[in-house]
Amino acid sequence: MSLLELRGVTKYYPGVTALDGVDFEAAPGVVHAIVGENGAGKSTLLRLIAGADAPDAGVIRWDGAPVRFASPRDALRRGITIIYQELALVPTLGADANIFLGIEPRRRGVLDRERMTARAAEALHELGLFIDPREPVGRLSVARQQLVELARALVRDARLVALDEPTAALTAHEVAHLVAQIERLRERGISIIFVSHRLDEVRRVANTVTVLRDGRRVWVGPAAGLDEAALVRRMVGRDVAYERRPPARPPEAAPLLEVRGLSREGAFRDVSLTLRRGEIVGLAGLIGAGRTPLARAIAGLEPWDSGTVRLAGRAYRPRQPREAIALGVVYLPEDRKRDGLVLGMRVRENVTLPVLHRFTRAGRVRAPAEAEAAQRAVAAVDLRPPDVERATHTLSGGNQQKVVLAKWLLTDADVLLFDEPTRGVDVGAKTELHRQIRALADAGKAVLLISSELPELLALADRVLVLREGRVVTELGGEALSAEQVMAHAFAV
Amino acid sequence: MSAPTRARDWFARYGVGAALAALALVAAVFVPGFFGLANLATILLHVSVNGILALGLTFVIVTGGIDLSVGSVVGLAGVLAASALTGSGVLSTLGVAGATLLALMVALGTGAAVGAANGAATAGLRIAPFIVTLATMTIARGAARLFTGGVPIGFPAAHDPLFAAKAAALDALHAVGGGRVPLPGLPRGFPVPALIMLTLVAAGGFVLARTRFGRYLYAVGGNEEAARLSGVPVARVKVGAYAICGLCGGVAAVLLTGQLRSAGPDAGLLYELNAIAAAVIGGASLLGGVGTAWGALVGALFIGVLNNALDLVGVQSFWQEIAKGVIILLAVLFDVWTKRGRGARTHA
Repeated sequence: MSLLELRGVTKYYPGVTALDGVDFEAAPGVVHAIVGENGAGKSTLLRLIAGADAPDAGVIRWDGAPVRFASPRDALRRGITIIYQELALVPTLGADANIFLGIEPRRRGVLDRERMTARAAEALHELGLFIDPREPVGRLSVARQQLVELARALVRDARLVALDEPTAALTAHEVAHLVAQIERLRERGISIIFVSHRLDEVRRVANTVTVLRDGRRVWVGPAAGLDEAALVRRMVGRDVAYERRPPARPPEAAPLLEVRGLSREGAFRDVSLTLRRGEIVGLAGLIGAGRTPLARAIAGLEPWDSGTVRLAGRAYRPRQPREAIALGVVYLPEDRKRDGLVLGMRVRENVTLPVLHRFTRAGRVRAPAEAEAAQRAVAAVDLRPPDVERATHTLSGGNQQKVVLAKWLLTDADVLLFDEPTRGVDVGAKTELHRQIRALADAGKAVLLISSELPELLALADRVLVLREGRVVTELGGEALSAEQVMAHAFAV
Repeated sequence: MSAPTRARDWFARYGVGAALAALALVAAVFVPGFFGLANLATILLHVSVNGILALGLTFVIVTGGIDLSVGSVVGLAGVLAASALTGSGVLSTLGVAGATLLALMVALGTGAAVGAANGAATAGLRIAPFIVTLATMTIARGAARLFTGGVPIGFPAAHDPLFAAKAAALDALHAVGGGRVPLPGLPRGFPVPALIMLTLVAAGGFVLARTRFGRYLYAVGGNEEAARLSGVPVARVKVGAYAICGLCGGVAAVLLTGQLRSAGPDAGLLYELNAIAAAVIGGASLLGGVGTAWGALVGALFIGVLNNALDLVGVQSFWQEIAKGVIILLAVLFDVWTKRGRGARTHA
């Protein structure tokens, strides 16, 4: 008998089908793991279970009856607790206040602090955490904060607890403790959903495993006797593939950008890579493997601790993106809305922002020259309609990404660092962006391409570096470059 | 683009101007004495200080910041300028013209310096502008009171050996703060402060709309991280915005001191709030990225016209305050309404 049951659940976001007719069950006393690549639909599935989003099609049953969660609060009230990677605790309040947030016990209208503290201590002890429940949780380690969240679930008599990548930030010792606690909750008959990238943990903790790929459930089965390599194959088996865009020219022999032993505490360690003109280098890895921090460091957005970078043979260490741009190194961010565009401005104003000095005389912007350059830039990326006076926020995701591309093309940089350039854009726009990126390399640019979408890397990259926990674990090229190989290294199988 | 969205866009751009026109029309019909050149010139004179401060604040608000210190800057710049103007040593060495020029430079320099310090603390030390300028607001006011001992600096005592020179210097500054330029149809002429305000609004509008610095202001306020990534010198832009705001405070100090022939340490008390109100009524968004020089003028005029009309029909000034508060709320609601279409799309 399932506690939670999803049947044919489908969820669309603009430009993507995040979940496509997915079935899923969670039963009391069972740990059900969900695995899949970045973007396979794991987070969307959790959001539906948490009541943070409603499915566009399909049914959710809770305790045998169809249900529509009105809000996360509604799901919580029914006994569903989700513990996200970004913990949902108030850092300045104690564990007791956090555990009872929203359900504070009162005596004649006044907070019953003694009872709160005593009950919180009890729940924390049960999870093997012996702390003063009144201490602000912001001072606790991530592992302990997680246990506070688990205690919160206990106090609220949660019947289902879902954990999203709970071990990503923990030490081996802390992981062992957490796994033991999950086991105890399971024995008490609580249903557990466990989302993780670490396949060895999945094998250790889970009873059942669901594999998601491109928003579909591709496999479900018992965890016992599971072969990690077989699991990886299920995660990457593909229906979609993009047309391979081969280079029209061989890369130049001399390196343009040379990174040697680059490290930053907590982000990436001892990374070496070389970018050459005419070449697209892919950067693969799981979320949190250090791909974005590495690219941001090279673009002067964040510092690095040790190591060297040389650009065209000269020492290169930008302290500001300004300097990097002036030297011809640009970063195209993953999050367009947060980092890429000023949505309140017009397309023209966004496109010319990095190169405004070219159209400025004595501080004054020469409007005709600016408009002409913007027009040329959006025509080059095939923005439709090519209206540079439109407010950027009115454009679709694919068109916004084209505006970002147009903006950076106008800088005429030599080194382009793309971070997930096609995330959230539709297939047509994707293909167009692929063509653009290859054309850039063929025109003699050096391109670094971060992508979580393996078919994209396979279609574009001439070689692929795989990052895991901040380190380059392998470089794949030619015959060795395959989806299975990339994932096997990313997951450390 | 749907019809309601287009209507919203139109209102977002011209709504305040239309509301001002409607208010003026109502006043012209119902308020005797409102619609005349002389009264309109009076309104412009009355709003000139607030208009100039609102213009300066618009620069800061467009970057997503706030400046609470500008009223205190008016006080501090005023007493320092008045002291330079009527200082016996200054007058005997530089003469009346030299002292006047020095006083102008002191007022503008003080304003710009305090403003630049605000910007540097905000951008360099990454302290919230509300806190930074709250601190400088208190510090500048305290400095003004300390400097003067709490009493106004200005008109010389009758036995002062330099009485004539000091009076002449104050008259020179009065030509700026209380002067009139001849204009046909206006027997008393057109007030100089209003002329200065209109000139500054035109100049400010040019800077905001037509220069690279102006573009950077909107980029920083619209999305600071995207601006930084695009190579915008965010810190310098912020320092510039706050310095301009302070400079406007310095100009206002000159006008007030000139008008009164005296500078008190409490001059400009709470003026920043009126200026913020004008900027917001004029369409500037405290979230940053939105605001115009023209809007600051219209916002200041809106408050001025309302006060003037209510004055003329004999409504108590307490009611005027309540009316102003209601209008601020309406302006903000209006702002939310014009942006609603946009909000839905940004979260897609």
